[in-house]
Amino acid sequence: MTDPPPLPAAPPQAPPRPAALPALRDDLREMVAELIQYRELLASLTRRDLLLRYKQTIMGFGWSILMPVTYMVIFSLIFTRVVKLDTGVPYPIYAYTGLLPWNFFASSLRFAVSSLTSNSTLVTKVYFPREILPFSVILVSLVDFAVGAIVLAGLMAWYGVGLHASLLLLPVVVLVQVLFTAGVTLLLAMGNLFYRDVKYLIEIVITLWMFATSVVYPVQRIGGQLGPLLALNPMTPIIDAYRAVVLHGQPPAAGPFLGAAAFSAALLAVSWLAFHRAEFRFAESI
Amino acid sequence: MADGQVRFDGVWKKFRRGERHDSLRDLIPALGRSLVSRPAAAALGRQEFWALRDVSFEVRPGEALGIIGPNGAGKSTILKILIRLLRPTCGASEVRGRVGSLIEIGGSLHPDLTGRENIFLQGSVMGMRRAEIARKFDEIVEFSELADFIDTPVKRYSSGMNARLGFSVAAHLEADVLIIDEVLAVGDAVFQRRAFDRMKEMVGRGVPAVVVSHQLERIASLCNDAILLAKGQIAFQGPPPECIAAYARYQSAVPAPDEGPGGLRLDSIALASPGPVESGGRAEVVIAGVAPAEREGLRQVVGVRVRSLQTGEILFATGTKSHDVALPEGPFELRVELQMNVPPGVYAVESTALGWRREREGRGGPATLVHVSGGPGFVGQVQMNCAMRAAARAAAGSGR
Repeated sequence: MTDPPPLPAAPPQAPPRPAALPALRDDLREMVAELIQYRELLASLTRRDLLLRYKQTIMGFGWSILMPVTYMVIFSLIFTRVVKLDTGVPYPIYAYTGLLPWNFFASSLRFAVSSLTSNSTLVTKVYFPREILPFSVILVSLVDFAVGAIVLAGLMAWYGVGLHASLLLLPVVVLVQVLFTAGVTLLLAMGNLFYRDVKYLIEIVITLWMFATSVVYPVQRIGGQLGPLLALNPMTPIIDAYRAVVLHGQPPAAGPFLGAAAFSAALLAVSWLAFHRAEFRFAESI
Repeated sequence: MADGQVRFDGVWKKFRRGERHDSLRDLIPALGRSLVSRPAAAALGRQEFWALRDVSFEVRPGEALGIIGPNGAGKSTILKILIRLLRPTCGASEVRGRVGSLIEIGGSLHPDLTGRENIFLQGSVMGMRRAEIARKFDEIVEFSELADFIDTPVKRYSSGMNARLGFSVAAHLEADVLIIDEVLAVGDAVFQRRAFDRMKEMVGRGVPAVVVSHQLERIASLCNDAILLAKGQIAFQGPPPECIAAYARYQSAVPAPDEGPGGLRLDSIALASPGPVESGGRAEVVIAGVAPAEREGLRQVVGVRVRSLQTGEILFATGTKSHDVALPEGPFELRVELQMNVPPGVYAVESTALGWRREREGRGGPATLVHVSGGPGFVGQVQMNCAMRAAARAAAGSGR
């Protein structure tokens, strides 16, 4: 065989032209279209995680109740026996209405932060919009939240808290919390993909954040110089809104709650866009 | 159905050696930039290299494109860009229609879920509707031959069972475009055969396909067009047999005929009679070269190696020394007869110039290809030139 071997030619000197920059509108359209197209995958992944909850565990969904209930018992002991805390309603139910949505938020963050890295075989082999992974974590936590609400109903019956018409606003409060949670989890999952530090950092942040939110005590009473800083925390108006519609029969405090809602929507829009634009690097960076 | 289409237009892909961002100081500006704009492509930074350079091809309905080339040539990068796992640095990759990708799928099954649950999960990961999976469920299970284990968690499966399940799901996706990577090497020989037949059937329906495989024979029988990829570039494009031949030449690529140790030069190698050889038959190759004069303490040997192009493995190697053949001084012609006791396929016969002064030195020489065609059917690695005879015999117990 006398043919010379086909060695590749030298690369051209002039650099190739960069790929065109897609418009923002195209990105937004793609994000929504893909989420709709892959909705069944979102359902499948959520179903998978719920199924796994039952496999090789005896308690199954019991675990979703145990965590907020344990905290409720601990803080009830502290704030009714050690220090009397006046919250206007029986303390256990005050604490539980804070702990239940907080647990929804915290467990979403805790599991979503590693949702991309723990599914790396999927991320590196199959294409699908990666936001599905953190989103399915939120849906799983939402199911836990619903299961935990059974205990809340029991507490309400025990303490004689009636059903108010304001409960009709509950879905709105949940929606705002979901928007905020989604915005935060997208950033965390993306951050953890590039830097595993995020996973460890978030544990500390969650603990600090809980005590900076009106979960087990009205955080507004801290006041002082920390007051204005704490007022920036969107989780406080959200948790206060739960108490307003469930315990007090009132609509959420308009100003702070609408502020939190607007901030949540904006955060989600920005972090989803950032996530979407960084997505194509996930498979090679994981 | 067959309206899928694949177009790869001047694609460049840049990769980085080592870690992506060394510190948070690099990360934060990078993330900031990604929010505002796409990273600028063009120039190569420190530690960066082109994994693909200016690769273009098109696959239309009814066509199947094979991609061959040595490891690290960029084959899998092309597939990953096609299924949108990676984005080209420059250029465009366009895939129209639903993509069915058969890319080492077994590994992404969830160990704690049963086979049944995994079929549904895997199906939806690949973009199948739940109703569609339910409709094809029985077919998938039957194809995988795992009916008895379908409610067993996948962690109890053997790796072969795992791969079979993964392939079976993928093979039942109604795709407009097929992307196939090395899954041909899944399961035992019988399953491989069925998997291959299935792929052939899908391609036969006119679904455009892109196939990457080291099993060149399979590329040859599945595809009607092929690309040889080397160092991220298309080195050759053409019908699979020609492309495979180009690959063989590339693999045994030699810089222009040159002197071996001690002045031995090999100029050419060719089949004495061109055309395929039947499995078990004899092939004669002729090597031409120039040998230097005998000198004290210097030995000249022409080595001959046979390499399987399917596996890249050297199947046989010998030399003139082992056969007590002395090379005449000056121009010589060496005739080598080989009995091709190998399965049908394409084999490269490579020559090497070897010499001993103090230690052994070798230099690769030219190579040629031998196409071995099918004789009497057999399965296995060695053609044993089996002969069979049958004769009637008196049946035991007859005539009682």
